[in-house]
Amino acid sequence: MNMMTADSVRPARTPTDQRRLAGARRPVRARVPGAGALLGAGGAAASLLIWEIVPRSGVVSPKYLPPASEVLAAFVERLALQSFWTAVGDTLITWALGLAIAFAAAVVLGFLVGSVPLLRTFTSSTVEFLRPIPSVALIPLAVLIYGTGMQATLLLVVYAAFWQIYIQVLYGVVDVDPVAEQTARSYGLGRWSRARHVTWPSALPYLITGVRLGAAVALILTITGQLTIGSPGLGQSIDVARSSGAVASVYALILATGILGVTVNVGVRAVERRVLRWHTSVRGENTA
Amino acid sequence: MRRRKILALAGATLLITASACGGGESEKSGGLQKITVSSMPIVDVAPLHLGVDQGYFEDHGLEVEIKNNTGGAQAIPGVVSGDYDFAFGNITSVIVARGEDLPMKVVSNGVTTTGEQGNDFGGVVVPEGSDITEPAQLAGKKIAVNNLKNIGDTTVRNSVRKDGGDPKDIEFVEMPFPDMPAAVENGEVDAAWVVEPFLTTALSNGATEVASNFVDAHPSLSIASYFTTEKVIAEDPELVEAFTAAMHESLTYADANPEEVRRILTTYTEMDEELIEEIRLPAFPPEADPESAQAIADLMVEDGLVDSEPDIDALFHQK
Repeated sequence: MNMMTADSVRPARTPTDQRRLAGARRPVRARVPGAGALLGAGGAAASLLIWEIVPRSGVVSPKYLPPASEVLAAFVERLALQSFWTAVGDTLITWALGLAIAFAAAVVLGFLVGSVPLLRTFTSSTVEFLRPIPSVALIPLAVLIYGTGMQATLLLVVYAAFWQIYIQVLYGVVDVDPVAEQTARSYGLGRWSRARHVTWPSALPYLITGVRLGAAVALILTITGQLTIGSPGLGQSIDVARSSGAVASVYALILATGILGVTVNVGVRAVERRVLRWHTSVRGENTA
Repeated sequence: MRRRKILALAGATLLITASACGGGESEKSGGLQKITVSSMPIVDVAPLHLGVDQGYFEDHGLEVEIKNNTGGAQAIPGVVSGDYDFAFGNITSVIVARGEDLPMKVVSNGVTTTGEQGNDFGGVVVPEGSDITEPAQLAGKKIAVNNLKNIGDTTVRNSVRKDGGDPKDIEFVEMPFPDMPAAVENGEVDAAWVVEPFLTTALSNGATEVASNFVDAHPSLSIASYFTTEKVIAEDPELVEAFTAAMHESLTYADANPEEVRRILTTYTEMDEELIEEIRLPAFPPEADPESAQAIADLMVEDGLVDSEPDIDALFHQK
């Protein structure tokens, strides 16, 4: 969930500009090329340092929270194991498949339901009821239907990611500029052409936001499912390490899931920039 | 809505079909029959892994795929649905399942207590410096067990009762075994029922052992077993016979070769090698003691886990 909130509260450009204006006399560090990356690396280093100090100083027992250096060593050791990469592969496959199914279903249903007001009203109460059901509450059902294989976890992933994308698509379809819609109509564009040239581009930014949220949620549910159901993947590896009392390995694997999360987020953002390169949110300040 | 329903149905059908294709149906290939066994990444299942390692299953025409689960709660539905041909689980869970009309039958012993007081692979520990020194003093205390209404709380109550204490007011709290050493050390609980390797971890962190609840329940208590459904037994008696025979050899080998048990632990767990050397190994006799199952059944009746007296004879598959 953290990744999600971090994304949604990412400050826009304007506050930075204002700060720059207000504190004009202050040296503007952000101007130096690569300073952002440098600062980010500094932040990560500081976090690692705190992680190293807390257990070493005895604030938390190192038996239950090994220092960062020990965990990093366990992590590097793990990189050489084939079983680790198999687990990473299983996790990525479950994630990607889950997200793909959720995406396809959400786009089809979202456009369908969104463009028919009657259908939208008719389904809204059901959607509002189903949407807040935590995916993990479906674990017993998933195990009953699919056993403990990948499909059980997939069910959780699809369920959780679907709503994220579906709701966005639904809003996106409704948010079409009426002037654009009317213009298209007066130029004699048919239903299909309007959907292609008016509705689709208007809904696309919403859809991409949905995918970004869905991608993060899908990864969370992938790991959760593997951890609690025991489907193959990084989550299951965490459970095995935990059952063996291998504390450093548990943290090393958690670290791996964190890295996977960052990678996924960077990937989705790259896709976003590509797909929406025509949109003001990506083109940025050049549009006034 | 209608279209959505149809789509959802179509989607569900697709997924179910896909799962049916990838299911755990046993099939013959290259002369070996492929079977799936549900297990857990714990010490108790070392004989199963050793059996595969030593080729006992192959000798009986079986190719075993071991699937790790997080507990019996997942294993039983998995066996019912046919995802697993056999599963490892504790005796209480199997008796409870039978009580709920899920007809499970034990086809092989799993793991047995060492029968030695103060030297078993599971026990009740209290924090360093605790006033509790006798099982009777656990009365009215807060005790951690991995699952409520299962083998942990029934056997702990029995230990307290046997020592002259009243188990009525014990507050049992559910907690995974890996979290117990820390909970005991921090004094979050007054005591914990813990099994290896966490028993050794807790003891080396300063905890004290006050009861050997398995030994108290029965000196040759069979704690867990391998089971399947009556359906599998009826449909493929040869498969069951082969599995039982291979397990018999695996258990005999494990029981006679503790160093082999410790070796195989390095392959399927993440346990530290030093820890593996230190832990107390359970006993792995090839045959379960039905009398000990009766003792557990009696405790379950006493604690109200089952409504009626379980039929222990029907619990074991008779060859």
